[in-house]
Amino acid sequence: MLMAYLERSSPTLKETLLKIYRAEKPVEIDQHFYEFGSIQYHIKCSISDSHIVYVSTSTLLETQGIVTVKETSGHTYEMIKKIAVGVIDIVDPPKLGFQLTLKLYLGKIPRGKEAIKIITRISEIQALILSSQLKEMLKMLNFQDDDSQAMNNSIRPIRIVYHPSEPFYVFKQPEKITAVFPMNFKDNADVVIAVSFFQELVEVGSRKEMGKAPQCNWSPIPPFQLRGEPVQDLTTNSGFVSFDITSRHVEGKRLDKTVWNLLNFYAYVKYHIKCSRGYIQRRMRKRMDSLVKLLVNTSLEEEAAQKENERCKNVKKRMKVPTSQLMMKERCKEMTRRVKTSKFRIKINGCARFRFSQRWISLPRFSAKPSNKSYTKLD
Amino acid sequence: MANPLRLYLACIRNTLEAAMCLQNFPCQEVERHNKPEVELKTSPELLLNPVLICLNEAEKCLIETSINSLRISLKVKQADELENILTKKFLRFLSMRAEAFQVLRRKPVQGYDISFLITNYHCEEMQKQKLIDFIDIEKEITELKLSVNTRGRLVATEFLKQFIYVDRLHIQHFPHQELPAILLCMRMVDNGSC
Repeated sequence: MLMAYLERSSPTLKETLLKIYRAEKPVEIDQHFYEFGSIQYHIKCSISDSHIVYVSTSTLLETQGIVTVKETSGHTYEMIKKIAVGVIDIVDPPKLGFQLTLKLYLGKIPRGKEAIKIITRISEIQALILSSQLKEMLKMLNFQDDDSQAMNNSIRPIRIVYHPSEPFYVFKQPEKITAVFPMNFKDNADVVIAVSFFQELVEVGSRKEMGKAPQCNWSPIPPFQLRGEPVQDLTTNSGFVSFDITSRHVEGKRLDKTVWNLLNFYAYVKYHIKCSRGYIQRRMRKRMDSLVKLLVNTSLEEEAAQKENERCKNVKKRMKVPTSQLMMKERCKEMTRRVKTSKFRIKINGCARFRFSQRWISLPRFSAKPSNKSYTKLD
Repeated sequence: MANPLRLYLACIRNTLEAAMCLQNFPCQEVERHNKPEVELKTSPELLLNPVLICLNEAEKCLIETSINSLRISLKVKQADELENILTKKFLRFLSMRAEAFQVLRRKPVQGYDISFLITNYHCEEMQKQKLIDFIDIEKEITELKLSVNTRGRLVATEFLKQFIYVDRLHIQHFPHQELPAILLCMRMVDNGSC
């Protein structure tokens, strides 16, 4: 199901790198572009040094109310180096205004399908950085003792902003970590569709077969753990969606999946609303066409019925008569012809004596001209 | 269909069958003009008593008749916010394209969701029975709501499945009888057949 899967790799970055890689002649590229409003990329490739491409990236990371361009952690660096060993190098310090700069050696990329795989993995760089930051937070919260948390009551929920105006909160609870998403939409129709989706999400999450998925809750009011947070974050029109992440969801390979799903929850919901609106529009249009056809058919039906009757008559005339009837008709015609040619003299065998040469009945002749015979007017 | 709803629709149908006895009547005010008298309401002798048929407070039908025209106004049930939004969208969609329908009024009468204006010319051109069948819109709104909810449910299932299964290979552990049904439903919902 395509709409459930949001790609990790940046499509623009991938396309540009593939274009540079496949170019027959050296190309000069110095390109800035943005994705999702907060992720920034810069690609630079010069003709003089065509085998090296510099890729810089940064994202706005806002945690705990402080706007910073956070430095990438050592663990994240290690993860990035493993993407393509020997093909990329991390440039230190990164380009001014960016979080990370990579030096890409085009000549060291293996040929064939492997090249596309490596370029795809390089395009996922931003997803890797964002995921690693959230992974570290979740791991930190997961391994934190409940006792230490109880002693330190001043631990507030961690506010994470990867996209402007779309913050979400993560806080530790006994035996679980809760991620809370305040949902806001501009259009009233979006609000209604989103709320019905969240209610379905809660209902599906409560089913038996979804027992292993994080428990999902929706509430029109913020949870009490968010007391003291900025008012503008707690003022929503579509309520608060929360996911309870247990240790099961942060172990091994599942951590990466869990983190990616949480990071893209907003994008997922928006995509679903957009598809739903498109579906409603298509359905209305289809229904309208059927209603118009229904009305048009009512007016044309009577005309068609009349035309059909006339057509039938013409067709009947032109229709071929079956052979037996044809023979009968021919016989009748022959009979009438003979009767006519015999001058209305019907010959009956054995009745020769009664044969007259003259007509049995003489019919008076009528003509338009007035009769020459005069008449006397009766008094 | 529930019994009260059936009776309500039957009542509307019978009333419309009786009311759709329209004839051509030129305007008494202006020479050589022919106007639907139910809209103008200038001559009371040409108007019949309006009939209001109520199923409940939320659903009602107003039928106003005159000598050469008939106006039907419907208020559709809106049980929740989603039905409210869908009804408004759908009826506005139809009203904006009223010229395609001929019998539809661009703006509904105040207090109602949709209005139709049928004149004697429509009765001459179209079949009365089909015109009456055309007016049953509530079923469409209900189907639309159902399909939006079904779609939401399928999407929610897919989202939560991603937490359970790391690789696509593990998808075979999902109950076999449910997975093909879910995929089929999604395809049907997207195609608009359910």
